[in-house]
Amino acid sequence: MNAITIALPSKGRIKEDTAVIFERAGLAISAVGSDRSYRGRIAGIEGVEIAYLSASEIARELASGTVDFGVTGEDLVREGMPGVDQKVEFCARLGFGHADVVVAVPEIWLDVETMADLGDVAADFRARHGRRLQIATKYWRLTQQFFSGSHGIQLYRIVESLGATEGAPAAGQADIIVDITSTGSTLRANHLKVLSDGVMLKSEACLVRARKPGHEEDPRIKQIVEAVRAAL
Amino acid sequence: MPLIDMPEFSADLLAEFAARRAERVNTPVIQPAEPFLDMAGEDLRRRIFLTESETGANLCLRPEFTIPVCLRHIETATGTPRRYSYLGEVFRQRREGAHEFYQAGIEDLGDKDIASADARAIGDAMGVLKTVLPGRSLALTLGDQAVFEAVVKALGLPFGWQRRLIHAFGDMAHLEALLDRLAKPQPVAGLDPEIAALIASGNEAELVARIDSTMQETGYSTNASRSPTEIARRLKEKLELAETRLDGTALLLLREFLTLQLPLAEAPTALAGFADAADLKLGPAIAMFDARLAALANAGADLSAMTYRAAFGRPLDYYTGLVFEVTETGSTAVLAGGGRFDRLLTLLGATELIPAVGFSLWLDRLEAARAKR
Repeated sequence: MNAITIALPSKGRIKEDTAVIFERAGLAISAVGSDRSYRGRIAGIEGVEIAYLSASEIARELASGTVDFGVTGEDLVREGMPGVDQKVEFCARLGFGHADVVVAVPEIWLDVETMADLGDVAADFRARHGRRLQIATKYWRLTQQFFSGSHGIQLYRIVESLGATEGAPAAGQADIIVDITSTGSTLRANHLKVLSDGVMLKSEACLVRARKPGHEEDPRIKQIVEAVRAAL
Repeated sequence: MPLIDMPEFSADLLAEFAARRAERVNTPVIQPAEPFLDMAGEDLRRRIFLTESETGANLCLRPEFTIPVCLRHIETATGTPRRYSYLGEVFRQRREGAHEFYQAGIEDLGDKDIASADARAIGDAMGVLKTVLPGRSLALTLGDQAVFEAVVKALGLPFGWQRRLIHAFGDMAHLEALLDRLAKPQPVAGLDPEIAALIASGNEAELVARIDSTMQETGYSTNASRSPTEIARRLKEKLELAETRLDGTALLLLREFLTLQLPLAEAPTALAGFADAADLKLGPAIAMFDARLAALANAGADLSAMTYRAAFGRPLDYYTGLVFEVTETGSTAVLAGGGRFDRLLTLLGATELIPAVGFSLWLDRLEAARAKR
């Protein structure tokens, strides 16, 4: 029987919250070796291994199918792979790690409240400023899908931002941002506002299954999914 | 350039281009990515092969020829009018088909006689295709953004609404959403009453001063992004545009226009009939449309193979008038695509307006079409 690998977050609140749910699901995790080991097992199910990885690595391993399950933020999974729903199944939403991926603009843009407003601004930005509207984000795939797929906005440029994205507009690195927010306080502190229809994704931690051949016949797959669902 | 895998009819194409007096140019395969992303938008990012130079500059494998040919023209400053041709590999991430394939085409830069340059581009595309696909039946679909612009203008819509609709032309879903907004205007809600009062009283200077002082206090520099004046003016315009309602008759007309699809030879009569019935003055756009058609007829083009589709356009801001596509009759594989892009060269940095029209041939699809026989 093939080993089943479950990739879990290796640190922080999300690691603890995941452990609580797995415990409640009857899938108690025992560390292999010391407590600080990055490998674990699930007592009671034969051949199930736990790999502790960073949240973004989990999304990547799910995309490549090197793990069977992962617990990570929906935002990272959707950003990390094209054709996401063919490649993975979101089996359960775990009720923690809530974060919205939002479009936020400077508060002082009094004329911009909706994506349609932003579309107007983007359309003649080049004529006014000699460059396209710039968006600071690390979510370039989600941004493209939302801007051109859902709102017909094509003419903008992404400025890749790997941290402190909220500061980019005031610092003059970009005009607006696409980023995650949970309470909105960082956005407010940076004088940014979320557009009324600018919530791109309501993300939370999810149990995600890589769609792999062999899962159909393996009873352990169903067992793990049902145990986690029952614990919510 | 690798010569081994070039399509076997490449020599015929080059001979055709030479006979049509289009100077053959080549451009490097590795190109700066910025102009492509800037012109076509971020959607292109996942369809091109991007890499970074050691110094951090974005580079890509040439995804098409029009932008490199135009950039080369601007750099070499050789003056207009000029006719360029190209034949070489392009690289794109595609769901179907190979990631590297050949394209060839002609770019006609700086001819101020728009109607005849348009007709020549169509004639060249059809002529070259007939050489490569002898005896095949070809179908051409033609669209014209200038006619749509004239219709929108004649309906008396405010300039801001005209701009929105023109910008969406070619993207039917976006256009439909805009028409819905015009049918059921939504008042702007949630505006600070003090700001609303300033706008109502027409006190722009005070509004600008307020925006400016907030920007200073919150650390938003006023020179890097949108200025207080720009924000104030657009806010005022937005409130006006939000009240614009297009009555049922006008909406029906616009929708009726967008469904027009008929043999090109019948299009002038149909457009004139539409303008008459709707009591719209479409003036110069129709005159240009008719002049192009006359130029095509004079050049002996087979008009019976050509269809006009009113909603056909490309929602990119450098396309300005004519667009066309050629397929084999009954097939959906586009063998040639072309159009007029009068705004592209100035967007790329040309100091004067250079009218431009051109077309591109998909050589992999041509090979497939030839093999079918």
